[in-house]
Amino acid sequence: MDKNELYGKIADAVVEMEDEEVVELCQIAIDEGFDAAEVIKEALIKGMDKVSELYETGEYFLPEVLTASFALNEGVDLLKPHMKQETTSEKVKVVIGVVEGDTHDIGKNLVKIMCESAGFEVHDLGRDVPIDEFIRVAKEVEADFICMSTLMTTTMAGMKLLIEKLKEEGIRDKFMVMIGGGPISQKFCDEIGADAYTTDAAAAVRKMKELKGIA
Amino acid sequence: MPIIQDLTTGKKVECKTGELLLAVLQREKIYVNNACNGKGTCGKCKVTIVNGEASPMSEHEAGMLTTEEINSGVRLACMTEVTADITVKTQNDTTAMKVLSAGYIPEFEKDEGLTGYGIAIDIGTTTVALSLVRLSDGEIVGKAAGMNSQRAFGQDVLTRITYEMEAGEQGITDLQKAVVDSTNQAVRTMCAEAKVEISEIVAYSIAGNCTMTHMVLGVDARSIGVAPYKPAFLEAQTRKASEVGLVGAADATVYCLAQVSGYIGGDILAGAYVCDLKHQKKNCLFLDIGTNGEMVLAGNGRLVSCSCAAGPALEGMNITSGMPALPGAIESVEMKDEKVSFGCIGEEAPKGICGSGILEVVAELIRTGFVKPTGAFVKKKKLSEDDWRQQYLIEDENGSAFLLAPGVMVTQKDVRQVQLAKGAILSGFLSLLKQAQVTVEDLDEVIIAGQFGSHLSAQALAGTGIIPKEAEDKVRYVGNTSKTGAYMALLSHRVRKEMEQLAEDINYFELAESEGYEQLFMECMRF
Repeated sequence: MDKNELYGKIADAVVEMEDEEVVELCQIAIDEGFDAAEVIKEALIKGMDKVSELYETGEYFLPEVLTASFALNEGVDLLKPHMKQETTSEKVKVVIGVVEGDTHDIGKNLVKIMCESAGFEVHDLGRDVPIDEFIRVAKEVEADFICMSTLMTTTMAGMKLLIEKLKEEGIRDKFMVMIGGGPISQKFCDEIGADAYTTDAAAAVRKMKELKGIA
Repeated sequence: MPIIQDLTTGKKVECKTGELLLAVLQREKIYVNNACNGKGTCGKCKVTIVNGEASPMSEHEAGMLTTEEINSGVRLACMTEVTADITVKTQNDTTAMKVLSAGYIPEFEKDEGLTGYGIAIDIGTTTVALSLVRLSDGEIVGKAAGMNSQRAFGQDVLTRITYEMEAGEQGITDLQKAVVDSTNQAVRTMCAEAKVEISEIVAYSIAGNCTMTHMVLGVDARSIGVAPYKPAFLEAQTRKASEVGLVGAADATVYCLAQVSGYIGGDILAGAYVCDLKHQKKNCLFLDIGTNGEMVLAGNGRLVSCSCAAGPALEGMNITSGMPALPGAIESVEMKDEKVSFGCIGEEAPKGICGSGILEVVAELIRTGFVKPTGAFVKKKKLSEDDWRQQYLIEDENGSAFLLAPGVMVTQKDVRQVQLAKGAILSGFLSLLKQAQVTVEDLDEVIIAGQFGSHLSAQALAGTGIIPKEAEDKVRYVGNTSKTGAYMALLSHRVRKEMEQLAEDINYFELAESEGYEQLFMECMRF
């Protein structure tokens, strides 16, 4: 099969959330001897970009994004063993979690999926994450972004605290802090001096690319 | 110092230069809808500046207002600083809402030899309902209901708990004072009307959610607001009325029903008791719909409960054309013979949609194929040109929407908000069934309790998939069982004892932390 045609079909299968078809088509790509890294980048991720677009226009919602990302991951799992030595190009590193006091993590998971689909290296700390844990891991992995989410108004103060702690340690400019979740607003973002806030997961990834100067 | 003149109340007040308009209005007790307590997320604290200038409008604020509103001087009070003299027009107070209080009262054994009068109260997050009761025979001689004055500190429990976090001890005091003051006021009015002396009030019985119970007693509620959501107490509480600040005889007492957990409170316990879930031979699910969907299932000899974050969408918040159930609100919608008709509160032209209307319109949109099972609006180009639905669909740069009435629409985002709420409640519903190993087919009854639920038709509940379709003809409404429970506890020590035991018998589980929850939630979002 023609390479471009095959890549197009893989992307479409991701958009249509057909995980079995994604796996079958990726196997064909391997059998044809195409470069695994290229298949991920030019087929799977292109498909996920389209999913992200559909999410932003309201055509897709949480279930579709999660199912599509599941299909994408099936493809990635198949392709990974066939990848040549990982290229040393610098990946955008993201530390993400739900702030201490909150256990609702579906919104955070969505941002995580979108980040991974964009090829970022994501360190997911889960939910109810102590502020110090965010900072510890961010320092350890030399993260570009610290992303915090919450659904509960009661835990918003933790976001402010993290920024204060970064300042105290003199490392505020080492990380970009992004926040999101139901009760969060641009006003709150400005108040606590976070670097960015977006209303949804797709916009978050776009913002991160913009901040890192990636097209 | 700048002077603010308010045309709505006729008040003239002074403030500091640069002071936040919201803070001034609250201090002066001028009504302003403050649902998110100044967080800049709800866009409800609209005030029109008729004359004079205030601080410049930020991009964020402008984004939350329509061009029309901006041109007519509308501002959001939480983002407007007063810099010079201004004349404003504030909102009309929406206190005049109907509060449900009637309901079924089962037979029960009253204490003997009681004298004097007592007060049974249901303290809801939004509304407070009271009965004045003659203790000798249990006769209800007066009733009152009104808004919970705590709404000045935010619409939902989390926003109010956040206020305690921000303001500390003072916050706890403010919140207690707000609800106690309005309770006292209602008690005085009831007593005057029934010709009962305040000194004849010897007992209070209070049912409320866990947060409200803490707040009325002046107990720190902050731990309920953060994981693991542990309240200061779960047991029933008894206090002197004078300690709490409630009016009555010198030795009057206050009894607060026990709690099951931080999010299954005395109000739900009262409901479970009134509906006698413990002794049901049938499989019954008791459901109270609000910002949280709280439910208890009696099935296979077990009592299990959970609470899910439904969000405010079902109550008309965060909905483009959402409004309270006031004149001008569309409350019912029907689509028949390729036509859309609706019922509006009062004789006025439609201004918006209230909670029950939102559910009905979404149910109809799904049934008639405007909205697909995924929750996405059907595209105009997928419909034939002469399809009747064409004229109702709008597609522009903001995405798809349904035009219900002139200026009243349901957007894709609105449908998504309802979908999130529905996913949350249905996932709780199915989780409980699974816990007790009861199938939907084996379920005998779905009991809908509470003020808000009483306005939701079984058709709309099943049509939107908040409850499974198979359960539509099993729905029964029981009204305000919280107040009924408080009433029964007021009159009977035996009832109190049984309720306290029941609180221990009901198992609670944390839905968001249960195994495979995310997957279930996603499945439950499908219409």
